[in-house]
Amino acid sequence: MEILPRFDVLRPASLAAAIEARRRCAASRFIAGGTDLMVNLRHGLGAPETLIDLRHIAELRLLSKENGGITIGAAVTLAELAANPAIGCDYPAIAAAARAVGAPAHREAATLGGNLCLDTRCLFYNRSAWWREANGFCLKHQGETCHVAPTGKRCHAAYSGDLAPALLVYDATIEIAGRAGTRRIPLADLYAEDGAAHLRLAPDEVLVRIHLPAAPWPAAYAKARARGAIDFPQAGVAVALRAEAGWITGLRVAFTGTNARPFLLAGVAALENTRIDAAWRDRLTKLVQKQVSPMRTTLLAAQYRRRVASALAQRLAAALAGMGAENHGSV
Amino acid sequence: MIAPRNTRAIVGQPTPLIDGIEKVMGTAKYTADLPAADALVGRILRSPVSHARIRAIKTEAARALPGVRAVITGADCAATYGVLPIAMNEYPLARDTVRYRGEPLAAVAAMDAETADAALKLIRCEFDTLPAYYTADAARAPDAVALHADKPGNIERAVHHRFGDVEAGFAQADLVREHVYTCAEVAHAQMERNAALVEYDPARDHLTIWSTTQVPYYVHLMLARCLEMEASRIRVVKPFVGGGFGARVETLNFEIIAALLARAAGGKVFLSLSREETFLTHRGRPETKIHIKLGMTRDGRLTACAAEVVQRGGAYAGYGIITILYAGALLQGLYDLPAIAYDGVRVYANLPPCGAMRGHGSVDVRFAFESLLDGMARELGLDPFAVRRANLLAAPTETLNGLRIESYGLGECLDWVERASLWRDRRGRLGPGRGLGMACSHYVSGAAKPIHWTGEPHAVVHLRLDFDGGVTLLTGAADIGQGSSTVMAQAAAETLGIHLDRVRVVAADSMLTPKDNGSYSSRVTFMVGNATIDAARALRAHLVAAAAERLGVVETEIEHENETFFAAGGDGPALSFAAVAQAALAREGGAITTKGSFTCPVEFQGGKHKGGAVGATMGFSYAAQVVEVAVDHETGLVAVEKVWVAQDCGFAINPLAVEGQIQGAVWMGMGQAIGEETRYEQGLAVHGSFLDYRVPTIIESPPIALHIVESLDPNGPFGAKEASEGALAGFLPALTNAIADALGLEIDTLPVTPDRILEALAQRQRAERLAKIREEVA
Repeated sequence: MEILPRFDVLRPASLAAAIEARRRCAASRFIAGGTDLMVNLRHGLGAPETLIDLRHIAELRLLSKENGGITIGAAVTLAELAANPAIGCDYPAIAAAARAVGAPAHREAATLGGNLCLDTRCLFYNRSAWWREANGFCLKHQGETCHVAPTGKRCHAAYSGDLAPALLVYDATIEIAGRAGTRRIPLADLYAEDGAAHLRLAPDEVLVRIHLPAAPWPAAYAKARARGAIDFPQAGVAVALRAEAGWITGLRVAFTGTNARPFLLAGVAALENTRIDAAWRDRLTKLVQKQVSPMRTTLLAAQYRRRVASALAQRLAAALAGMGAENHGSV
Repeated sequence: MIAPRNTRAIVGQPTPLIDGIEKVMGTAKYTADLPAADALVGRILRSPVSHARIRAIKTEAARALPGVRAVITGADCAATYGVLPIAMNEYPLARDTVRYRGEPLAAVAAMDAETADAALKLIRCEFDTLPAYYTADAARAPDAVALHADKPGNIERAVHHRFGDVEAGFAQADLVREHVYTCAEVAHAQMERNAALVEYDPARDHLTIWSTTQVPYYVHLMLARCLEMEASRIRVVKPFVGGGFGARVETLNFEIIAALLARAAGGKVFLSLSREETFLTHRGRPETKIHIKLGMTRDGRLTACAAEVVQRGGAYAGYGIITILYAGALLQGLYDLPAIAYDGVRVYANLPPCGAMRGHGSVDVRFAFESLLDGMARELGLDPFAVRRANLLAAPTETLNGLRIESYGLGECLDWVERASLWRDRRGRLGPGRGLGMACSHYVSGAAKPIHWTGEPHAVVHLRLDFDGGVTLLTGAADIGQGSSTVMAQAAAETLGIHLDRVRVVAADSMLTPKDNGSYSSRVTFMVGNATIDAARALRAHLVAAAAERLGVVETEIEHENETFFAAGGDGPALSFAAVAQAALAREGGAITTKGSFTCPVEFQGGKHKGGAVGATMGFSYAAQVVEVAVDHETGLVAVEKVWVAQDCGFAINPLAVEGQIQGAVWMGMGQAIGEETRYEQGLAVHGSFLDYRVPTIIESPPIALHIVESLDPNGPFGAKEASEGALAGFLPALTNAIADALGLEIDTLPVTPDRILEALAQRQRAERLAKIREEVA
């Protein structure tokens, strides 16, 4: 059995105490559901002396409607999100994405913040300590070479959280707290295209809450994976689409599982103010194929992930256009 | 003479497993649940390299670490082990040469896991690396270095069998087709990880092991060999076991390592492997390439079959010779095949060793056979069912390779699945992306010739009756969840005319129970079942004699049912079981122990040709199934919508368990067909978790409509045959035949993962485009 390293667990009751604890102990990590972190720790990916459990901070567990929008605390569990009527009604893509994570037991423990801050994943990284050492380690952890692209100097581990694309197409902003105070940024700005450093968070910063604006466009999430449960997304796609009588007036498309970060598809304005037809589908496909860059980070072929990313984007867009103003959730 | 089922009180009745309560309540003690608070923690150091001479393994620093009680390396065990006496070429800890990444090099026993881990990090290994081979082709290349000096060319075994006039057969055919099929290596993915608890008593030089095994007897043999201990000083106990599927049908390195550690430490050692280590211990179904050629007449009659099979067996022999022989032998026994050529090669490669897995040897070849058969039927415009029916056998018969077939219910299986699936009405009418496919398969009910030929019976069972009136059944057979203990209790209770709960089963403890070869090749129900009936008849004779004496009649007049003994006619006085038992004990001078045994007659032990014993059995199970699929042409996902399966298991002693076993076989076949495969990066296993080794989840699991066909085998216990393996192989081709029906795409590579489906569709699109361009140019 791979054993857990020894560590202390702190359970601060306030955000300030959590940030202070993180400042005091350099070799510490924040933990919420732990569904990803604990597996990584058993694999020897990090050896924190202290884990700071964020689940006892009341404000991180709040989910509230305000100004027509919704604010979700970072420690709200995915099971809560999936079951929340307000989310299910107004932001169905989020509910669908939450339901698509892992298995029921994972969703009971896993949190929205944890999913957004999920470590990137790779065939050569999510392995036992023995395995990684036998393989000469890798660029992301303890090593020099990226085994996915050995000639390159960048880590290609893929971001594989399901929630981020759904939040991105709803134009979510996030609130981050740190020693210097709090800042609010678009969710997209949390991420960088570097598998070894994909989160733009200072060491003592905590994701506090997520704001969803009012009057969301109809949106949906679809997840490509080999099995209907357990699996991380091989490619995950969220689409928000506003249409009037078949005429597209607004479009946002976001991806996960294909790159080192979740991202909003750029250049979608060219696909607005038109109707969905065969040419439109081709243009969407081209746009997607140009921007997704799946690498050999999973056991399914990278080419497959590229193909299925555009296929699912098309499928969601068509369904949302066909549905008019109706919210659909997932396809 | 086999009685019809309605005269049976206990066998034939759906019966919850007698050890099911503990499992459902969570109180069953599996190996890792046994009390081990006082045990040292064992850990294994595994090779980081694929192929190398071991220059040195330096353990001094590890030995010096406080809390470390034992450190062992290959130097501590000079004996090889292996399941086949002719192919024992594996050391529990590598000596001189290491042959795959993950092979054990050293092991430690320490006071806790942290100390054991720390000790492993202090062990220094020095290697001179050798070229490594990860494919059968690379290992067979002319200049390849031999993994084993006595096996040049890395050929573990080449088999060349010819039966009938193959050339004439192909000449008679109206259609001859050949194709190459490839099946990825798969693993058992048994739920319970490998673990062993070993207690060594240095004062008495006694050793007891509790292990996750299907074959306590083989573990016993190999421990005696590798530890150079007299077998009488060793006790092997099998606690509850969480699945086997063939992963545990030979002694595994961790069992010997745990025993060596316990002896070296002079105490108790608990060695529990991680999921990754369990995958590395492996023994799964090898990657197999099948080049198959069939000849067929216009009306679907098979005229000849030629098959070339290459199995990539991994670094050590294991069951390999048996697997490559099974692959050829079990081409036969399902259909009437007038001529067969089989050329099989088992190849060594620098990967974890393969072994036996549910449907041992038959599965991948059956996939190829049934796929090509279906393709040829399409070409000739024949219905898939009609083609199978054109080639049915008629029992009793003997195949060209000397397999005896005494009962054969395949025709009924075909009839049922055809009817139940509404094949004739629904096939071709399901709409785009949906299809129906079918296939057949079969499997042995125990290998008729045991691996270790000692002259002893194939199975022995003891029954004991004492003052308390309980009947204790002692068997070495390992219940690994398949329900063998329940079947034995039913067989004994039925034969004795007593209630099921009067029988107590003590199983698989070498100190108490008679030797049994173990739970593999679906031998237990057939062989141990017959031995149980034999023992019960012997006990019944004592009871009948006592009852006759009490009732003052001759023994032949005694009848018994429902725990009551009476004279024929039924008007006279009746004796209770307790009274008869008491009388028998008094008459026999106290506690009565009877022995029953079973031996496969020599005429069932296969053909005279070399390797002819493999495949020989006293009874084959038969299965037919229909699979319905829906394929998403944009995501490549194959959804198995429904399965209809019928299996001839001779007689269902416990229909409840038989249903579970058949569903399990179908489901396991589905796993191999749609998603499961081992993957290696330069010999490093990247499938070592249930995220990367994709067994189906409940979402992928279809409803399985099931029918049991009872052909009443003349030699089976109550007519029973095998029930847990036969339906597996048929799923694979039934699925791909259904995909062919849905998409017109003939899949020849397993598993049919979504990326392979999309790639196959893209390839077809490219080919069509190319053809169109050529047409336009022309």
